Amino acid sequence: MSGLISRLDRPVGYVALQIGLILGVLALWEGGVRAGIVSAFLFGSPLGVAKQLLRGLEDGSLLFDTWITLYEAVLGFVIGTLAGSVLGLGLWYSRLVARTFEPLIVAFNSVPKIAMAPVIILWFGTGLLSKVALAISLTSIVAMIAAYQAAKDADPDLQSLLLTLGASKRQVFAKVIVPASLPAIIATCRINVGFGLVGAVVGEFISSQRGLGHIVFVASSFYDLNSVWAGLFTLMATGFLLYFAINLFERNVLRWKQDDHRQEIHV
Amino acid sequence: MSKLSLQNIGKSFSTRAGKTRVLDGLSFDVRDGDFVSIIGPSGCGKSTIFNIVAGLLAPDEGTLIYEGAPVAGLRGRVGYMLQKDLLLPWRTVLQNIVLGLEVRGMSEKDAREAALDYIHTYGLGGFENAYPRALSGGMRQRVALIRTLIVDPDILLLDEPFSALDYQTRLYLEGVLIDAVERLKKTVILVTHDIDEAVALSRRVIVLGQRPAKVKAVHDIDINERSPIGARSDPRFAGYFNALCNELDIQTQQRALA
Repeated sequence: MSGLISRLDRPVGYVALQIGLILGVLALWEGGVRAGIVSAFLFGSPLGVAKQLLRGLEDGSLLFDTWITLYEAVLGFVIGTLAGSVLGLGLWYSRLVARTFEPLIVAFNSVPKIAMAPVIILWFGTGLLSKVALAISLTSIVAMIAAYQAAKDADPDLQSLLLTLGASKRQVFAKVIVPASLPAIIATCRINVGFGLVGAVVGEFISSQRGLGHIVFVASSFYDLNSVWAGLFTLMATGFLLYFAINLFERNVLRWKQDDHRQEIHV
Repeated sequence: MSKLSLQNIGKSFSTRAGKTRVLDGLSFDVRDGDFVSIIGPSGCGKSTIFNIVAGLLAPDEGTLIYEGAPVAGLRGRVGYMLQKDLLLPWRTVLQNIVLGLEVRGMSEKDAREAALDYIHTYGLGGFENAYPRALSGGMRQRVALIRTLIVDPDILLLDEPFSALDYQTRLYLEGVLIDAVERLKKTVILVTHDIDEAVALSRRVIVLGQRPAKVKAVHDIDINERSPIGARSDPRFAGYFNALCNELDIQTQQRALA
């Protein structure tokens, strides 16, 4: 038994376990549908979902819808995160501005931004712009708060060192505050990239002609559960892809944080 | 002539319990080329003095005279080293060393050349592109020392720079420091609670009393041997060590239980 566990406690072992788990759940699902225990009408079936996915791939519509949603989500995420982070770091620069705006930002952040979706559609129309705006509203405040907090947490001794070397405030900002805040900003990206996707999909739910959110919304109103799942699984894959893109980005930007040879500790 | 003179410096901090007076009428002089250690009981305000001289804190009262003229602080003219090495973790050894030159606007090429020179002189060749986390504590503090020396500061301000290191590394780095200071004719102010280090390195030791800190005594250390091991082996070392311990009222014998 312990021999089996130690054999599984390796990368290949994990992957095998993961694939086994997924296949197991799918088999149970499909079996349940065939045995009549699970309602195909309300839950769809794995083979039906697979058929929908294949059909979507064949006529190219799936990739097109994925592209639309991905485009909205990434554009909103990038603009929101960049603008939010720059503003958050900027708050460090002026104590007066920070003191004035901090409570307002916290108050604004406690509004569930999704609740603003109908208004955003009114303002920005039913096209691409409203989805991007929604994604920006979801990501920018989070990025701003995280960047400001990280800037505030930058080691004061490092700032003192720069000052004794004769550095100006601008130099302290560029050489200490910004690089010291980067890890927190990038960690926030990992959460925010998901919020970008939420913004795009919710925007598509309310009004859209294309996109994965559109597929899910329309299909569910026709009780076409297989298409709903096809859309959801594609969304999941898209989110997964974005998460790995952020990881890759982090590994390249934060080279100095990489462990060269740290030993893993087993507890 | 004195290089730096502190005259009647006073400083209070507001705490929850009210105002705490940390420095009160503190005065002392530092001569050109001096190596002065400041020792005192913990919490007596040593680091406050340090920050005032560095120009990071403004005193409430008193004046700082530098080369005959009153100044607000010595920002940009001091080299500053703490117990923490203060290396920027996102910069390589080379990039850390050029930090001060970069702040002063030296061209990247010149700064790099100067840094590589120092790196080889101080035995860090081959590590110029390593990140601080890959280095040992002693190496990191060596990088910090080079970063301090390379900007050619008028005064070196050191706040227990070696106290986190093991004894051998510490002796080695003390040697590197003394060597550089003698060769480059630098003025040094060392804040420490380590009497042994103060006697071994300094020409003068200033003893501070309890808070609010005032100068309690100044001892001239007349040991000609400058190397850290040589100074500690000098017959007069023990005498100075003893005198300073008495000055600080250090109790090492446990009182008998009544």
